[in-house]
Amino acid sequence: MSTTTTKKATLTLSGDRELQVERIFDAPRERVWRAMTDAKLLAQWWGRGNRLTVETLEVKRGGHWRFVEHTSHGDHGFEGRFREVAPPERLSMTFDWDGMPGHVVVNTMTLHDLGDGRTKLVSTSLFSSRDERDGMLKSGMEGGMNESYAALDRVLAST
Amino acid sequence: MVQHLPTRLDASFAALSDATRRGILVRLGRSDASITDLAEKFEMTLTGMKKHVSVLERAGLVTTEKVGRVRTCKLGPRKLEDETRWMEKYREMLEERLDHLAAFLERTKGDDA
Repeated sequence: MSTTTTKKATLTLSGDRELQVERIFDAPRERVWRAMTDAKLLAQWWGRGNRLTVETLEVKRGGHWRFVEHTSHGDHGFEGRFREVAPPERLSMTFDWDGMPGHVVVNTMTLHDLGDGRTKLVSTSLFSSRDERDGMLKSGMEGGMNESYAALDRVLAST
Repeated sequence: MVQHLPTRLDASFAALSDATRRGILVRLGRSDASITDLAEKFEMTLTGMKKHVSVLERAGLVTTEKVGRVRTCKLGPRKLEDETRWMEKYREMLEERLDHLAAFLERTKGDDA
C-alpha cells in the first residue's frame, strides 16, 4: 500500500508522514495553474463530481480558503490557509477537513513545464509531526484505553 | 497484512492481559520513559521490566530506542491506526481530485489556451 503506480500517477509514502503524488497533465502550466486557483474553474473539478461551493478563496500568502462539497451523504467542509503562492509554479497551503479537526496537512503543489505542452504536477502532503500526533493521541488516550481494558477484562473473565 | 491480524491480536491480548503492562502503557501515554524510570515506578527489577517491555514491543504497542546506555520506551505504531486511516482517506480524495482535474483540463482544451 505504500507505493502505487498507475499510468498517470506515482504515489509514495516516504517515512510515515509524507505523501507524494506525481501526475502529468496534457495541458500547459498556465492552464493547470488557473484551474487550481480560479474559483469558477475549481468548482468544476475539485468536488470530485460532487457539487462544490467555494466559500472563500484568497490566493495569496496567508489567505484563507474554504470549500464545501455537497454529497448524497451530506456536506463536507475543507479549509486552510495559503503558505506560498508563486504563479505558475508553486502553491502551498494547509488543509484541514471538518471531519478530522486538528489533523492539519500541509500540501505543496509544484508545476513543472515539460516543454511539450504538458505539465507535471508534484504534490507533497506533510501530515502533522509525530510529536503533534502523539500529543493528540495522548489527549484522548487514557479514557479510551481504560474502556478497552474494562472490555478486555470482561472478555478474559468470561473465558 | 490481513493474514497476520489474528497473530497480532493474540499478541496484543497477551500483552494487555497483565496489569503491570497495562499500567506501563498508561504511563507511556503521558510521556516517554526509560526502562529504569519504569522499573522504579512499578517497583520492579530492570530484568523484569525489560521482559514486560519486550512483550509490549512484540505486540507493536511500544517501541524502544537505545541512545547511549539508556533505552527509551514510547507508545508504538498500533496507536496510530486512526492516523493511518486518515492518511488513506486523504490519499483517496487527492487521487480522485487529480482524476477530475485531468478530465476537466481535457474537457476544456482550447477554451483558453
